[in-house]
Amino acid sequence: MSTASTASAPAATTAGTTNRSRLRALSAQAWLVAPALIFLFIFFVLPLVDNGQRSFVVGDNGWSLANYNKLFFDRYYLGVLGQTIGLSVVVSVICLILGYPLAYYLVRHAGRWRSLVIFLLVAPLLTSIIMRTFGWRVIFARRGMLNNFLIETGLIDTPIHFLNGPISVIVGLVHVLVPFMVLSIASVLQGINPRLEESAQILGAGRTRTFLLVTLPLSLDGIGTGTILVFMLTCGSFVTLLLLGGGSIHTLPLLIYQQFNTTRDLSLASAMSNVMLVIALMCLYIQLRFIRRRGVKG
Amino acid sequence: MIKFPRRDFLKASGAVGAAGLLSAFPNGAFAQNKPDRITVTSYGGVWETAIRDYFVADFKKRTGVDADVQLGNPNQWISQVKASPNKPPLDAVVATAELIIEAGRAGLVDKIDGAKLSNLKDVDKRFVDICEGWGVCFDYGAGGFGFHKGRVKNPPKSFVEFVDRTAKGEWTASMMTPNWNPATIFVIWALNDVYGGKLDDISPALDAIKRMKKNCIFWGSVTDFLTHLSSGEADIGIYPDGRVWAYYDTGAHWIDFINPSEGGAMIPVAIMKPKNAPDIAWEYINSMLAVEPQAKFAEKMNYGVTNNKVVYSDKVKPRITPWEKTRFPPIAEIGPHLSNWIERWNKEIGV
Amino acid sequence: MMRAFKSMPLLGLHLYVVAFFAFMLLPIVVVVLVGFSSTDYIVFPIEGFSLKWFWRVYEYKPFLQSFIVTFEVAIVSTILAIVLGVPAAIGLARSDHPAASVVMTMLLSPLSMPAIILGFALLFYLSMLGFGVSLLSLIIAHTVVAIPYIVRTVAAVYRSLAPSLEEAALILGASRWQTFRHVTLPLITPGISAGALFAMLLSIDNLPLSYFFGSPGTSTLPVVMLSYLENQFDPAIAAVSTLQLAVAVIILVVIERIYGLRGLSAA
Repeated sequence: MSTASTASAPAATTAGTTNRSRLRALSAQAWLVAPALIFLFIFFVLPLVDNGQRSFVVGDNGWSLANYNKLFFDRYYLGVLGQTIGLSVVVSVICLILGYPLAYYLVRHAGRWRSLVIFLLVAPLLTSIIMRTFGWRVIFARRGMLNNFLIETGLIDTPIHFLNGPISVIVGLVHVLVPFMVLSIASVLQGINPRLEESAQILGAGRTRTFLLVTLPLSLDGIGTGTILVFMLTCGSFVTLLLLGGGSIHTLPLLIYQQFNTTRDLSLASAMSNVMLVIALMCLYIQLRFIRRRGVKG
Repeated sequence: MIKFPRRDFLKASGAVGAAGLLSAFPNGAFAQNKPDRITVTSYGGVWETAIRDYFVADFKKRTGVDADVQLGNPNQWISQVKASPNKPPLDAVVATAELIIEAGRAGLVDKIDGAKLSNLKDVDKRFVDICEGWGVCFDYGAGGFGFHKGRVKNPPKSFVEFVDRTAKGEWTASMMTPNWNPATIFVIWALNDVYGGKLDDISPALDAIKRMKKNCIFWGSVTDFLTHLSSGEADIGIYPDGRVWAYYDTGAHWIDFINPSEGGAMIPVAIMKPKNAPDIAWEYINSMLAVEPQAKFAEKMNYGVTNNKVVYSDKVKPRITPWEKTRFPPIAEIGPHLSNWIERWNKEIGV
Repeated sequence: MMRAFKSMPLLGLHLYVVAFFAFMLLPIVVVVLVGFSSTDYIVFPIEGFSLKWFWRVYEYKPFLQSFIVTFEVAIVSTILAIVLGVPAAIGLARSDHPAASVVMTMLLSPLSMPAIILGFALLFYLSMLGFGVSLLSLIIAHTVVAIPYIVRTVAAVYRSLAPSLEEAALILGASRWQTFRHVTLPLITPGISAGALFAMLLSIDNLPLSYFFGSPGTSTLPVVMLSYLENQFDPAIAAVSTLQLAVAVIILVVIERIYGLRGLSAA
């Protein structure tokens, strides 16, 4: 299948090369992709197909669509689906807004501090997620650091309930995931020649215009990469939701965890994970097409 | 050099992995092939220390066979046995009665047999029956009220009183949720039973929780209860006796426990032998039922144990809730209703 | 004056970076401090200073053993993912054939699978194949989820490079391998290192996948930590986290000395 898949390279690059070398390039590309594809087919697709069958077996009644009927037509489960996607969108957008300036700083202005910046970015990821959420609990508690600070500075009179709500979940997730956004964007920004920006400025564009018309479009690939990563990781995360959410947000992974841990209804859990997989694959595919088109036009 | 075909590559990577495995763990990973070692299971932390120091030590002393202890939780272990029923990676598995029944009905477990367990005669029959005969309980916890002595001067004596006074707002309750599996018994079944509900309709329990909800903080994980009480975010809650006393012993002398007059729900921890595990595993289970190691276990863990010849020390005797004063949940019958319970909880309580 | 005005946004950016890192480090500081607590229960701010929890970590064997397993698995699975993922990324990055998107989606799809489902499915599947609960199974599972990180970042970097660079090398008579070794590889190194770093970090912190492959010899640190935390609520867990951080810091510093961390974002 993959022999055909990676067929034609962009016309601009192949123009001028002979048919023979084009054929060589073609087979070489398929050969490059095959090992990873086969590995994932054996150790990802097959186990999931094996597991996915469970979702169609409900009780002892043989094959049934009862699980999917429930997931798509029960208002509660539709709400869960909405919350899962909504949360992922919010976290991705916040990570993008917080992360882009940092990636820009890292590549263009950090200079000799670059190693330190990368180090500070990565270091928090090296403590266990269980302990990081514990840290947030301490900070957000009713009599915790943040409330004490806000009361002492006179900004509020009574403690705010940060914990067990969307705020603490979003903060916790952004904290864990923003480094992935920064590094994704930075590795693409790095490939953009600063001379392009300089020429734009010499030609009279201001900083803002240069950024909007030159830097930003060229870094779209990095934005796409980072956003997909963060979106997917949020979609699949449950530890942060479990420990900081106090049940205020219901997402599919949280319910899947519940099915595994408490009800042992593996059939419903498989159905939920199949739904998640389909949604995610659709997002991935759409975004990839989008990036590709932008990439060709830009 | 980079031109090796896929198949060889897989083999090569497999070989690399296997070599790493062999060199890193000469004993552990292949324990089940060697008659001089078996693999048993334990929860982490202080549990692991107790299992190793008392039960494994007793087993080794009597049989000369050593046991590796695998950490984790029962869901993981039962899944692992299920995945390799012909060659189970575990020889004796600690689990909840509910999971043992599920595994037993799936044909993965050997029935408990008095002829193979000399200590079984000293264990009440109810501790085998609650596992449908597929396992035997060696300890249990009771879900009563853990509370802050300073802030709750006059603790509730019964579940009904607890619900009424929480609803009135006399204190903030720290409430477990079904994300922690035992909550289905300690809270849902216990409250439902107290208010006369049946297994197929948990409305009485859910109504009680709805009344209390505005004065409750719900947990994320099992240790949140202790954080809530120590930080002042909550004052009281339903919690297992052993965990309350373990926390007391770390220096939190403000915490106390009371068993409600209706009797707190009892959750036992049981042990089973997977089918196709070597027979020597029975001897390990026998060690888990023996008087001396059980007494040491109770002393360290503050949990009640099941051998009726065990005499508790003066320190733990007042702490441990006698099993006669607890209520035995019908675990085998609850199983089929769990999905429905959780779905109703999610929809109606929503945490 | 003009200059001062022009540097205003830059000043703002600097201030933002400082605030950003304050946010990133705050919860970590809390955890590290709790690790040095003298009380037997967890309390913050800590009531006294002591090193006893570090001694406890040393004493409690599963911590140390799982520490080694965790890093072993992270390193081996990341290397495997690089070997599999880098060629695939190069093969796909510039292709605009419709099927290329499908294949790319397929290679990235492990990202979207909740790890708990994947772990469960792989446990049964690998047991069926006879791998069972072993270090090899654990490494396979971690490699599956590591591949997308490598593919994604390498493809993004490779796509942003001008194809003319490689063409020039080929035209000048370099072989494919030479072109790859001396032109392509140096240029995509930032992508590889960023992807590898993602993969390793997520492997080290992965709970739901490792959980199903735990055995006395193959439990990873998160599995041991969670089972400890659930049954013994004391500062030892913060001490382990602190040690984990310290080891990682040392590794990062060594990488920086030998190879340079700037490689993560620099060409």
